[in-house]
Amino acid sequence: MKRIGSHHGTALMAAIGLFTAFNLSAQTAPSAPPGFSAMDLSRPEASNQSLQLAPIPVPPLVTPPEKIPVSRITLPQGFRAEIWSWGHPGARTMVMGDRGTMFMGTRGIGRVYAITGTTGKRQVRTIASGLNQPNGLAFKDGSLYVFAINRVFRYDGIEDKLDNPGQPVDLTAQFNLPTEVHHNWKYVAFGPDGKLYVQIGANCNICEFNPGIHGQIRRYNADGSGMEIVARGVRDTQGFDWHPATGELWFTDNGRDWAGNDGFEDEVNRIPKGMEGANFGFPYCHANGQPDPDLKRPNPCAGVIMPAALNGAHTAGLGLRFYTGAMFPTSYRNVAFIARHGSWNREKKSGYDVVIARPLPDGTARMEPFLGGLMDNTKNEFYGRPAHVFQLQDGSILVSDEQNGAVYRISYDAELHASAR
Amino acid sequence: MLIDCRRNALGYRTAFALRASRIARAIRLVERRSGGGLRAALRAALCTVVLGAALQANAADMTAISAPCQGCHGEQGHSVIANIPSLAGQPEFFIMNQLFLMREGVRRVEPMKALVAGLSDDDLQALAKYFSSVPPKPSDEVIDPELAKRGAALANRARCASCHLPSLAGQEQMPRLAGQRIDYLRHALTDLRDSQRPGADSNMIAAIGAASDADIDALAHYAASVFAATH
Repeated sequence: MKRIGSHHGTALMAAIGLFTAFNLSAQTAPSAPPGFSAMDLSRPEASNQSLQLAPIPVPPLVTPPEKIPVSRITLPQGFRAEIWSWGHPGARTMVMGDRGTMFMGTRGIGRVYAITGTTGKRQVRTIASGLNQPNGLAFKDGSLYVFAINRVFRYDGIEDKLDNPGQPVDLTAQFNLPTEVHHNWKYVAFGPDGKLYVQIGANCNICEFNPGIHGQIRRYNADGSGMEIVARGVRDTQGFDWHPATGELWFTDNGRDWAGNDGFEDEVNRIPKGMEGANFGFPYCHANGQPDPDLKRPNPCAGVIMPAALNGAHTAGLGLRFYTGAMFPTSYRNVAFIARHGSWNREKKSGYDVVIARPLPDGTARMEPFLGGLMDNTKNEFYGRPAHVFQLQDGSILVSDEQNGAVYRISYDAELHASAR
Repeated sequence: MLIDCRRNALGYRTAFALRASRIARAIRLVERRSGGGLRAALRAALCTVVLGAALQANAADMTAISAPCQGCHGEQGHSVIANIPSLAGQPEFFIMNQLFLMREGVRRVEPMKALVAGLSDDDLQALAKYFSSVPPKPSDEVIDPELAKRGAALANRARCASCHLPSLAGQEQMPRLAGQRIDYLRHALTDLRDSQRPGADSNMIAAIGAASDADIDALAHYAASVFAATH
């Protein structure tokens, strides 16, 4: 017990020392190092993690179908996985046009794809390129909305002109989004209220950002007017959806790095009815009410809405979609599928799968495994990185794999289920 | 200066020198006949033809493949021109990825635009393989030991080594810093800090986020000093 106490004491003193050094350097810059780390107040030396952890690169070149790890995928009885499309490196967000065109957003590769065709090999077109992380896509009334870091474009009547999309309507000035890059590759979606919901991530790993600008989910009218903040203290959400019965917004949120291999867990959050604008804790309060070790303030979790469920440390839950289809067994109705991109800031890799958040009557959710096999725990290696989930009209779901530039279709066959019994 | 070094690229004496000189002659001819405004664009476009031809004709000869690059990036990718990066010893994925991003129009470097436009995926991979295999060499710039010392403290705080490795040799999408030109490191770090490097891993943008120009200068001298210390 004494040892634990003294460890905490040392950590606290180190933290005080750090703030002192920072304050001094602010006054006497540029001669006094270190001075520039206000944007990342983590202390890796206190995290008990290997200092050789690094973000995972995304291959920009096409992965041929024979190298796509679909045969490794494991699913509950009765479900099967197949390659739905391939040949679109950096595959992430998916939205569908009224006439069945699948639009796909990416990050570093800067492309927006349009995927068409129903049988055989699907046709993949690059309809926009050279953008700065065009991850945010939404579709409404025949128009595709593309959100890059701080730019917004609307392609009207896009499904009529996939071969020559022409110049989009530039809505950048109307939305007036912050220019900071980190955690600001957008996730966007139209809500049941017809408003366009937009994530504005915290532009750091762990820092005191301007809460009037960053760490939010906002909603706008489709033309960029009428901005409102619907959630604050959100570090980095990359997926949200509305519960089909309650209409409440559920979103993933990824916890900070360099706070230990097992800290802090990523979150699955719910904005309770009437609580729009509420605070979800970042940067002072993490996971289920744990104070930040580097950024301390009294009562850090006061007034913070606790997560509906914890989603594992560093697993990086991105896309979240509620299931409303008729193909899967009724026990899947209204559960949220969550694609977990997989960890980088963790010695033993975790995630690289698709899980289920099953909402419970008390507003929390129970997490269950669903799609696995893309991670080899013995070798500590991964084969794919699920990024987003999309439900097709027939009730099957699609899962995008950013690492392999592919989409898997997951379907259910009751007979297959019965015959396996 | 960039046009000048591109001219060097065309004149470089290599296995495809003959082909290159013919095309260079053609460029001069076209330039004489065309208006001055078109000159740079034409030269750049024809540069691509030369580079593409070199890649196809000499796939086995890595020195020849890389010849058009060496006009600016130096012999075997050891740059001797201010603000032009050395390519020697950079991680293979890093080179391929950056060439890809420039070809794609994500990372916009004007002088590189036309040079990479006609390259195939195989070309990108061949160039990456070649330059990553060349042993790196420090530049002839003078390292300021005081700045390097200050940079070491900053680098430790920003944990540069966790991604770029303790040797700063880089890995995967993260470049080699050790042995890179100090002036280029300064340029690149400034771009990253100011969010002017689309396609870069955004963890880097976050890491360098609040650095001052003086911090960046110190980090650049530190990275150069690491190479001197380990070679």
